[in-house]
Amino acid sequence: MQLITILIVAFLGAGIVYLIGKISGKARDILAVLASLIVVILVSLAYNQKIYTSFYPLPFLNLSLTLRIDPLSWFFAIAVAGIGFLSILFSLEYMKHYQKLDFYYSMMLFVNAGMLGVVLSADFLSLYIFWEIMSWSTYLLISYKGGKAVGAGLKYIVMSTVGSIAMLFAIVSLYTSYGTLEFSSLASLLQTASSGYILFLLIMFIIGFGIKNAIWPLHTWLPDAHAEAVSPFSAVLSGILVRIGIYGFVLVMYSIVGLNLLHKLGYGLLNFNYILCWIGAISIIIGTFIALLQDDDKRLLAWHAIGQGGYMILGISFGTTLGIAGGIFHTLNHCIYIALLFLVTGAVEYRTGGVRDLNQLGGLIKKMPVTFIGGLIGISGLIGIPLTNGFVSKWLIYKTLIMEKHPFLAFVALIGTWGTILSVYKFLHNIFLGQLPEKYKDVKEVPWAMRLPMIILTSVIILFGILPGIPLNVISGIERSFGIKPLSTIIFGMPREIGELNIINILAAIVVAGVFIYLIFSLSTRSRRVNQYDNYAAGSFIPKDKYQYSVRFYDPVYRIIGPYLRDVVDDFYYWLVEKSKSFFQGVRQIYTGNVNTYALYILLFLAFLIITKIGWGLW
Amino acid sequence: MVIKAVWIIVLPIIAFIIGVFFLGLSRKVIARIHRRYGPPIYQPVIDLIKLMNQKSISHGRLFDMGVILSLAGSIVLVLFIPFGGIAPLSGSGDFLVVLYLMLLAPLGVALSGGEGANPNISIGISRKMMLSLGYEVPLLFSILAVMTYYKTTSLVEITKAQQHLSWGVIYLPLPAIAYFMILPAMLGIRPFDIVSAPQEISSGPSVEYGGRYLALMTVEHAFHTFIVLALFVDLFLGGGNPFTFFVKMLVVFLLGLFIHAVFPRFRIDQAIKYCWKWPSILALAGLVIAYVVA
Amino acid sequence: MDRTSIKKWFKAPDKMGHKYSLWAVYFCTGCGIIEVPPVITSRWDAERFGVIPVATPRQANLFLITGYVSLKTLKAIIRTYELMPDPKYTVGFGSCPINGGMYWDSYNTIKHLDKYIPVDGWISGCMPRPEAIFIAVTHLWTMIDKGMATGYIKYREKYRYYRQNQEKLFGKLEWPPLYPMEDKNG
Repeated sequence: MQLITILIVAFLGAGIVYLIGKISGKARDILAVLASLIVVILVSLAYNQKIYTSFYPLPFLNLSLTLRIDPLSWFFAIAVAGIGFLSILFSLEYMKHYQKLDFYYSMMLFVNAGMLGVVLSADFLSLYIFWEIMSWSTYLLISYKGGKAVGAGLKYIVMSTVGSIAMLFAIVSLYTSYGTLEFSSLASLLQTASSGYILFLLIMFIIGFGIKNAIWPLHTWLPDAHAEAVSPFSAVLSGILVRIGIYGFVLVMYSIVGLNLLHKLGYGLLNFNYILCWIGAISIIIGTFIALLQDDDKRLLAWHAIGQGGYMILGISFGTTLGIAGGIFHTLNHCIYIALLFLVTGAVEYRTGGVRDLNQLGGLIKKMPVTFIGGLIGISGLIGIPLTNGFVSKWLIYKTLIMEKHPFLAFVALIGTWGTILSVYKFLHNIFLGQLPEKYKDVKEVPWAMRLPMIILTSVIILFGILPGIPLNVISGIERSFGIKPLSTIIFGMPREIGELNIINILAAIVVAGVFIYLIFSLSTRSRRVNQYDNYAAGSFIPKDKYQYSVRFYDPVYRIIGPYLRDVVDDFYYWLVEKSKSFFQGVRQIYTGNVNTYALYILLFLAFLIITKIGWGLW
Repeated sequence: MVIKAVWIIVLPIIAFIIGVFFLGLSRKVIARIHRRYGPPIYQPVIDLIKLMNQKSISHGRLFDMGVILSLAGSIVLVLFIPFGGIAPLSGSGDFLVVLYLMLLAPLGVALSGGEGANPNISIGISRKMMLSLGYEVPLLFSILAVMTYYKTTSLVEITKAQQHLSWGVIYLPLPAIAYFMILPAMLGIRPFDIVSAPQEISSGPSVEYGGRYLALMTVEHAFHTFIVLALFVDLFLGGGNPFTFFVKMLVVFLLGLFIHAVFPRFRIDQAIKYCWKWPSILALAGLVIAYVVA
Repeated sequence: MDRTSIKKWFKAPDKMGHKYSLWAVYFCTGCGIIEVPPVITSRWDAERFGVIPVATPRQANLFLITGYVSLKTLKAIIRTYELMPDPKYTVGFGSCPINGGMYWDSYNTIKHLDKYIPVDGWISGCMPRPEAIFIAVTHLWTMIDKGMATGYIKYREKYRYYRQNQEKLFGKLEWPPLYPMEDKNG
């Protein structure tokens, strides 16, 4: 009943918000925030419960739609609800100047409801239904702004449909083979299936979930969609919606197929896990290094979303305790810091009149300190600086790779981090540091409704960075439910038998060293505060607005690696589209649109049938 | 426990003394190679005292905090790297943690420099980032070779496995050579002093630093020198007791210094291409060998 | 030279520090700079006395005005001088900064540098030998010891005078005044 309530609140909220919006804008805003807040509360109340309900028996197919909650689905549900709530809160101010707000809020809630449905459903049919609700409402939201966004949305929905069809294919095949679609019964039935069939199922699901998760080479929709969507929705899109794909991977690979079967797939180095690892590794390289070349801040983050997706795949595809924990934890961390970073870009857009070009901004730290701190902590999480959340999950993934004796994969993961540092420092520098342009002299900090979500996300990043035991505890519950040896955790890091990691000691050391240096620093001769124009310029007074280094920030590296870093896959898809046009032109010759021709086709077909029938009889 | 606490306090002091000694020594040695008399070996101390007494300028809160963060990061790092078998905090973080803690110092400089709002700083930091991307490739190959060969990510155990003259450099010569080839780049000395090139970008990230800021950055540089050398000795030269450890560090440092004293400077793209060519090939070969052998 | 006297280091570390760590801003104003390379390289090696050239005025505390000062250079000199952290010492090198030297009737060269920035000491001659720089440095040491090298304090206290002279030459300057313009000692 509890789960049905959650979904009813989520879906009804979406509908009611639309209707109320026709009457009063203010009431709509309040109701939207309230609806998403109630969902957060309801989901968090379901912590540590195991519920299984069937909510609608289908009158045909001998199936019933079911919902369940277990550690895995709770983990993702709380992330969905939380990010959804914060981005709706952020929207209150951010979206003020946009049109069709009723539609926007209603669709935001719809996306959230769809995602909740996906993670809460207990059989593939309801998963597929909610999946489609989610996909279509996402499409409407991506193309919400019009203009370029329509193209981005179309690209998304075409690829998403391909994924859905692949998934449907697998689901239908499962139904015809086993007659049931419930996860729990499938899990036991599949234990006797042949490896070939399992491989087929996995590939189909990987296409389905992989397109959502934007793994290489199925990633091409993501940069356009992320860049063109409105910023609060980009946060949802990149933070959690894309990561529903990871949920799907974990669900299919460990909850349904199971570890024993996975290890039997393939021979030697050509096994399933290893190939999936390399797909993840390629995603890391492609994502983080193409991000280096971007000048649009949201597009830069979007490419990082692809790259970080690679880390998650790398973590979960190993099937070891550490690896799965690292992968799932990284999913959560990623959803927090990337949402924060998209909100930060949203805040910057809001105050600078929609400027997304990194070459035109600069020096905003003096005007928007809270946003800057959000951006700083966000990129620290993305890099994985110690004391932020991304550090622990990346540590787990690296540790897995080295302990499982995959140094080459570990190299890819580590060098990906260094690529990340380059591009996110450029992001932070070009927006917040350097000289403040004259035209942004009067920029103010964003209003509280936008500050609050950023502050919350920032503090969560720090909290999970210092106390990684909190989320890791839930994650070890997930691992227990898969029947894998659960990760044993202590609140400040890892127990000794897993590895040397104790965050509290690192924190204490840094704090003590910092305070000590601060004392020396403040005891020495005081310094004089100067403004940005009192600056070294080889003996001349600096020219205003012309003393910023941000265009082509890493020019020598661009020149060395730029030629190799084209998005070949995207080019290939466009080439495919171009080539197939002529084929479909040919098809169009058959479908003329003329009724007479169709009548002729029918007549010919009937004649063919009759002739074969007669001919058969004569034989 | 008490001994550990004492080491936590003493080790940064030792590192500070050794680092500042290396700074002074490098000026003296370079002067002698240039056939000059050179400053007294304690000249860096004089410079530090002077800098602490200068009335410098500040560009804002982050300008101060970045410098402090940078030095704090370096000091903390010293506690994680075994110095002659002593590593008071090595139980709280392994090599991966060390690799990530090594980011704190450049991050602090980058943030502080960014607030400095000078294009010379930005160019310097951009060069620093690119150079580190360049030398991280061979560096990661060689340390992964070490970790694969010794099957651990703990620095203490890597050092322990190399006792009784079974040094890493004997078993893993190629990664050791590769690491040594990029050592100048990590230390920021010629031919890789692109970051602080005084003739091109007016000493890069420290353009706006004067007085106490420059003092803290000098100390940070001393710590950084200590850390890079200590890592090399730990990974390839078998650690040892504190005295032999120091001697090994001194030898490695002097070898690097001789290169520093006579070479001109690379351009940044030349430096990246250099790092990605010979050291990377050597280190990759070493990694493959370690992967096969281990 | 009392660089090794521990007692003095404890008594006045700041003075000793400023004395034995003179970092000169590497700024070539005129022909006199030709004498500086031999001074800092192996022929005379100024680093023996802690004198090194640095690239940015933020780190420097010694300013050698090497040679004639044209109007264009003067602007850069003032800007550079104002960027240097206190305490800072200026030394005029050669005859030209003192009284114009051989450019005494030039339309484009200033004749008295100390009207625009305070100068702590002069080295006369055209050209002075590099050894003269060392003599200047030792004189500067004595002056710092005795508290006579107070150019930077004078600049703060008589800022109105200097600024007025500067503005008489250039018209309005682009940068705001470094210190408040009220005069303390008239």
